[in-house]
Amino acid sequence: MLDINFQSFIDSDNSPFVLFDSSAKVLYLNSSAEILFGYVTPQEIYDLALQNAPLSFGYHTTNIELSFDSFSFYAITVGYENDEQIYIRLYNTPRIKQQNKLDKSRLITTDINLLLEANLALFKTKNQAKIHLIADLDIPNFKLNQNQFSKLLRKILDSFLNAKEIEITLKFLVGEHIIIDNKRHGVIQLLIKSTHRDCSNDDDIYTLAQKSCCNVSLKENRTSIEIPLMID
Amino acid sequence: MQTFITKSQTTQDIIKGLELSKNLFVSSIIIGEPHTGKKSLLRQIFTDTTIISAKDKIQLESTLESCDEIIITDFELLDNISKYDLSNKKIIATANYIHNQQLIDDTFAFIYHMLPLKDRKDDVKLLASHYLECAKKDLGLNTNIDINKIDLDLSNNTKSLKQSIYRYVMRQNMNIDDIKSAIYEYIYQNLEGKNGYKEHLHIYEEPLLNAGLSKYKSQLKLSSILGINRNTLRKKILEHKIDA
Repeated sequence: MLDINFQSFIDSDNSPFVLFDSSAKVLYLNSSAEILFGYVTPQEIYDLALQNAPLSFGYHTTNIELSFDSFSFYAITVGYENDEQIYIRLYNTPRIKQQNKLDKSRLITTDINLLLEANLALFKTKNQAKIHLIADLDIPNFKLNQNQFSKLLRKILDSFLNAKEIEITLKFLVGEHIIIDNKRHGVIQLLIKSTHRDCSNDDDIYTLAQKSCCNVSLKENRTSIEIPLMID
Repeated sequence: MQTFITKSQTTQDIIKGLELSKNLFVSSIIIGEPHTGKKSLLRQIFTDTTIISAKDKIQLESTLESCDEIIITDFELLDNISKYDLSNKKIIATANYIHNQQLIDDTFAFIYHMLPLKDRKDDVKLLASHYLECAKKDLGLNTNIDINKIDLDLSNNTKSLKQSIYRYVMRQNMNIDDIKSAIYEYIYQNLEGKNGYKEHLHIYEEPLLNAGLSKYKSQLKLSSILGINRNTLRKKILEHKIDA
């Protein structure tokens, strides 16, 4: 029988894979799981593995809808061959391919921090909420349809109009990418959180996000937008 | 250049948003009642941008053809908007009211609402002091005027506020000949019918009774000052519906 080492394949697999010992300590994780652990604790994934483990030694795949921040999965495989180790693989839900053809003539090199600040000034004319902004000033200027994206931002911020306190984080997502016109682009994530959110304009938000080639994740109390970092 | 006068937090946030968007290719609109300072604000921030009123459709069309950035005032008057391609322009606009919410939503990324003066108490004080100084200067008056004595009219925002202050200052500056002349002009334009004497008597009697009551507080004292019977005074007060 062939003896093949699959580790390098698993390392670069787009779906997270984690190997735990019996005390929930991580023994191995691939790069995709490393990114996932920025949004969920290893203990939560370990508990998930135990809940869905096969009754005896072996492997078992369960179809289950899971989401952690902007990550979503449609199934997991849990396996163990001894009492010391257990592993889990989470299957990424395929992302809907951007159908919109991007009008490149309207893309303008943009300082996203400046654009965000202008949008927040507008928001402050309508709401007195305390805003905690954590921005990454090292994000390079990148190409964006400023008018289109600002419409999206306005709609998203307006869904927090009744909030008393809002947390906004703008950061570069390491290791993630968005493909537009067969070209890979890095990802800037804008995360807006509060205690609750008005969902009545969610359809408009999805439509505007699609026009700006952004992925948007709308939850009860938070919105996350993934913006393609189009440098050229 | 005149600096836009404001202490209102909302207006300051509008200024901040517009200042930040100066170097962005985004379309903005300020919506608010007439004479709230929308146009002055845009003039101050976008100094080099062409301003066209939507009333002047021909001029607007030709400017849209030649400019990428334009200020359109009275945006609510822009009908048949589909014939203009605004999508590839930087449009900065003002509107007195929202005539088409969907159109505004689709065209503009930044939609600001300018509060009327009655909701900008701090701005009223600032503007009133500013207009008072202007009025004194324009009318050559050096005396001190207590701004709290002026009945500030905010019904038409800065326009009525300015008018109420100028009128008050003008009245302070009038001498007896000016008053006679003003009454003459008024009577000359309005005197007609068959009962002109009685119909115009209130022009003299009402301010006389109001000022006398404010000054002497008592009808008894006032009747003595005016040299008329107390009952006659009472009758006149009732006749002119004066709150005594």
